[in-house]
Amino acid sequence: MIDFLTLAIGTLAGCSLLLPLLQLVKGRDWNLSGYILAAVLASAMVMVAVFTLSPSDLPWFGSLLRGDALGGVFALVTLGVTLMVTLASLETQKGEGNPVYYSLLSFTALGMLLLSYSQDLLMLFVAWELMSLPTYVLAGFDKKLRSNEAAVKYAVIGAMSSAIILYAISLAYGLTGSTQISAVVQGFSRLLAAQSDATALASVAILLFVAGFGFKMSIVPFHMWIPDAYEGAPTTVSTLLAAATKKAGFIAGIRVLLAITTAYVVTQNPAFTMANVFAVLALVTMTVGNVSALTQKSMTRLLAYSSIAQAGYILIGFVAFSADPQSASASIGMTGSVFHVINHALMKGAAFLAAGLVIMQLRRADLGAFDGLGRRMPITAFTLTVALLALAGVPPLSGFWSKLLLFLSVSNAQFGWLALAAILNSAFSLGYYAWIIKRMYIDEADAPGRVKEPLWFVVVFAVAVGLIIGIGLFPQQAINLSSAAAAGILG
Amino acid sequence: MAFVIPSYFVWLIFALPYTGALLSAALRKAGKVSNVVAVGFSLLSALFAFSMLLPIITGQSLDTVDSVIPKSVPWISGLNLRMGVLTDPYTAILTNVVAWVSFLIMVYSLEYMKEDGGSNRYFFFVSLFVGSMQLIVLSDNLLSLFIGWEMVGLCSYALIGHYWKDETKDWVGTPGDRALGEEQAYSPSHAGMKAFVMTRVGDVAMLAGILILFFYAGTFNYQALASTYGTWVPALNSSGLLVPVALLIFGGAVGKSAQFPLHEWLPDAMAGPAPVSALIHAATMVKAGVVLVARIAPLFYFAAVSSTSLGAASVQPFFATVAWIGAFTAVLAASQALVGFELKKILAYSTVSQVGYMMMAVGVAGLSSDFVQGLSAGLYHLMSHAIFKACLFLAAGALIHSADSKYVSEMGGMRSTMKLTFAAVLIASASLSGIPPFSGFWSKDAVLGAAWDAGQYGLFAVGALTAGLTAFYSFRMLGLVFYGSSSRRLEQVEQAGHHVHEPSPVMWVPYAILAFGSLIVGLAALAGQVIPSLNLDATFTAAAASYVQSLYPSALSTGPSVAFNLAPSLVTLLFVGIGFFLSAWLYLLRRTSPERLVGGTGFLHNLYIFLEKRWYINALYYRVFVNAPVAASGWLSEKFDRMGLFRVNDAGSILGVSLSAAGNWVDVKIVDGAANGFSAAGQALSRVVRKAQTGVVENYIQVFAIGIVLLVAFLLVALGVRLR
Repeated sequence: MIDFLTLAIGTLAGCSLLLPLLQLVKGRDWNLSGYILAAVLASAMVMVAVFTLSPSDLPWFGSLLRGDALGGVFALVTLGVTLMVTLASLETQKGEGNPVYYSLLSFTALGMLLLSYSQDLLMLFVAWELMSLPTYVLAGFDKKLRSNEAAVKYAVIGAMSSAIILYAISLAYGLTGSTQISAVVQGFSRLLAAQSDATALASVAILLFVAGFGFKMSIVPFHMWIPDAYEGAPTTVSTLLAAATKKAGFIAGIRVLLAITTAYVVTQNPAFTMANVFAVLALVTMTVGNVSALTQKSMTRLLAYSSIAQAGYILIGFVAFSADPQSASASIGMTGSVFHVINHALMKGAAFLAAGLVIMQLRRADLGAFDGLGRRMPITAFTLTVALLALAGVPPLSGFWSKLLLFLSVSNAQFGWLALAAILNSAFSLGYYAWIIKRMYIDEADAPGRVKEPLWFVVVFAVAVGLIIGIGLFPQQAINLSSAAAAGILG
Repeated sequence: MAFVIPSYFVWLIFALPYTGALLSAALRKAGKVSNVVAVGFSLLSALFAFSMLLPIITGQSLDTVDSVIPKSVPWISGLNLRMGVLTDPYTAILTNVVAWVSFLIMVYSLEYMKEDGGSNRYFFFVSLFVGSMQLIVLSDNLLSLFIGWEMVGLCSYALIGHYWKDETKDWVGTPGDRALGEEQAYSPSHAGMKAFVMTRVGDVAMLAGILILFFYAGTFNYQALASTYGTWVPALNSSGLLVPVALLIFGGAVGKSAQFPLHEWLPDAMAGPAPVSALIHAATMVKAGVVLVARIAPLFYFAAVSSTSLGAASVQPFFATVAWIGAFTAVLAASQALVGFELKKILAYSTVSQVGYMMMAVGVAGLSSDFVQGLSAGLYHLMSHAIFKACLFLAAGALIHSADSKYVSEMGGMRSTMKLTFAAVLIASASLSGIPPFSGFWSKDAVLGAAWDAGQYGLFAVGALTAGLTAFYSFRMLGLVFYGSSSRRLEQVEQAGHHVHEPSPVMWVPYAILAFGSLIVGLAALAGQVIPSLNLDATFTAAAASYVQSLYPSALSTGPSVAFNLAPSLVTLLFVGIGFFLSAWLYLLRRTSPERLVGGTGFLHNLYIFLEKRWYINALYYRVFVNAPVAASGWLSEKFDRMGLFRVNDAGSILGVSLSAAGNWVDVKIVDGAANGFSAAGQALSRVVRKAQTGVVENYIQVFAIGIVLLVAFLLVALGVRLR
């Protein structure tokens, strides 16, 4: 039997290494490397999909990887977003297209693919760096001051978070003598049960993981780099950061943090549980994100803050899970988290690319660029409208269902306040989303006239809008998939 | 005898308007044809709705056979959800009101929106709006109701803001009018936004309520909720959430139906085209709230009554709140209508007030020993209001177009030039005022009678007073528009060559039909006092009872009573009479000038200003809920986002600045003159470093570190507490 997962990893690795060689071929259409990467990503997605359909929940590569449905969902989501970004880059990088750019994208995709399946802390860290390092370069890829500045900031804070994760891993290894996540979890639960002196160190390790992964997950207060980086980086790269690498942060969070949490609740103190930590982080993250988004003048900054707020919603599933991993709420919550990860990748990916196209064509990023867009760039405006409404959780679009599941999971006596806060936040967020829609369809453009909407963007938009509406109308399949993936964590 | 229809008929009632919306969008290029297509699908939907009404007219019971799509289909298996449609007579009446009134409004729109460049967009959203309203009405569960609910909200946003160019003539209110320093006039897009945001406030409460209910009951389905009341009602009650959950869900209705304290969006929703106002006020949006309350009221009431440990008293706080909010809104809005000068705004206040009656009726149901009486009175008034209010709004559209002004003070004497419209408005106003034998009299009488029979004399008194105010403002409006002499404005319009005239039949026929319908309903109800088969009260009571029985088959042990109680009717008529004669004296006969009566000072003048400024509630909302948060967000953005949160370590930034100064010096003194590329690179680097070193990144890392410290501190405290 062909091992499709290994094949997908091999294909992507080969693509990453070989693409730069295209530079040696003179006088060729540089977009060629983009087409190659798109084809490779698409075939890798097919392989992962085939593998996910019949997942073998076994250790792979000497138990470095674990081929479960959870990994499959995250791999598909991150590869899918990278494919969207690659297709869009065919237009933005046209003429100056560079094999190195696509090679870096390919490395990132490989990193995210490995991360999705990681079952060992060292593997996880290597995959994390494989994913992160190319994005530092990509963020500065525009030879512009802002882009370079964004890259510098992103790299400095990224290096710090890597250091923190590494420190947490070293603590975990020191305490348990293993880098296998399952072994670490067992070791931690023994430590915590025995109430040994090392308990405090174990807790520090857990919280360092929160901070380290929180950087990618865009959890407040580890979010400060995000608006600057998203604003400065080329918008295609911002899309990658917001819709893909952020998801990688969540898979790391789920694999490591939640696994450890299962051990941790055994010895919880009623007032200071991991559930409470996550609840506070979720509340602060969504609130800061939404409130800050309200007065943004630049579309990319606004989307960056909205992205922070969405991370807060995804964290709600973590709350339900760590409150009681065996309960029905935990299952609904984790299904909601995974589902929202899928939805967020689609919605935010579409929104960022739409904004990116507007910025590219009109050469301005302020909200004024969106005035009257409904008549100037109808397809882009419609895509953005659908994506924003879905982000706000308006039924019957896809975002509604995942938010519904998330809110349901905490609609109990203990965390009812969080559900209420999340609903309020969600309503509040509609304030700025609707404002952009109003600008696009109601306000008058200062420079009327149709603007070109390139083919590949239109293709990506059509697929994304189709999925957002399709999942919204028929959520059953996506919920089943998320629930199957969540089952892996629930064990 | 049973009348059988296939189940897909019912699904088609809401599927057809959606199809119409999609087709009209697809046929965008075909021009006006697409509009006709949308109207055609609306008619088809209405015909399928009519198939549900037939058995009620012929006195049979309605049955469905599962065909093509069963009545209930699996939806989301993970949550064990099904989605289905209701087919009881109560739903049948509601769905017909929505279908036929909106069909007539859409026919009218064909002519009204003829010249409008955005008519395709208009018909798309109207169709979507109607389909979503039907989804609300037909849903057999709270979740699909909520989906329809949100879509209605979105469509209303688009429709109210239809005149997106925000030209001054489309504004609602008079620019420059201020209360508490807040502007009281709004552009259409502002009004659309206001409607959207304000109804969202209610929706938040509603979603919270529905989620809590689901958490305890594990279902959104009405019938499943009813059959499992034994588990979730005691559970909710023991956590003290029974009434709060009901009230949270009611919050959604307060927003959508524009009840106090979320009533302020509706008067400004007048900024949309006149048929949109008709649609929102008569057939769809504001009625959605009443539908929602009518759906959940029996659920909670009979669950409490049937539970041995609870009894009706445990849910009475909920019903008392609903009834009193309804009653207070009725009198609040009616008082504001007394002094309105914008024709559509008077009608808008009137809608808020009349919907208050419906809420009061449903609230009274739970306070009375005869639940069905209140529920049926609410439905009765909903239907009769839908007919006469749609008529009034459509006629208002014609009048405003004719007079080229939205102010009643700029009309006058139009009864000779627009006879047909005058007749329609007269019938509808008489109905609105509750003058016998027009339909509004009977339905309002049913509501007030229910309050009287329940022993709720306070509610009755507020309702009767409101009836008096209603008669006054209805005939004030009629008098200002049709009686007296032409205003200067009208003379100018005439001189400009625009003769005041009746609109084309495409416009007047729909509102003539509605006026005629209102008259027929009234006459039928009058005849029903002697001929039992025409007794509308009995029809509505049977419909309400059938809905209750579909939930709780054994709930109604005694048959409903439909005795006509004379005492409350006479009291109400007295109030209506006073209101009518005062109004007739001032505005029809014009014996005393209202301006002289109010004067420039004194109590009446102050009262006038108070009412005209909407009790200052609107201005207060703007001050507290709009201006304050915007300021807060601005502050947050300035402090946290742009400037960097902490400026503790200034040394770093000073260093950064001196570094970059040095860089600049090197740049200028040494590098200058060297290779150009090198220089440019140096400059760029210098600028990057300067940017990165002015404290911004450093601040970010600081925040990052503080986050870690906080987390660790949190855990150490946790451990400390645990170890002790």
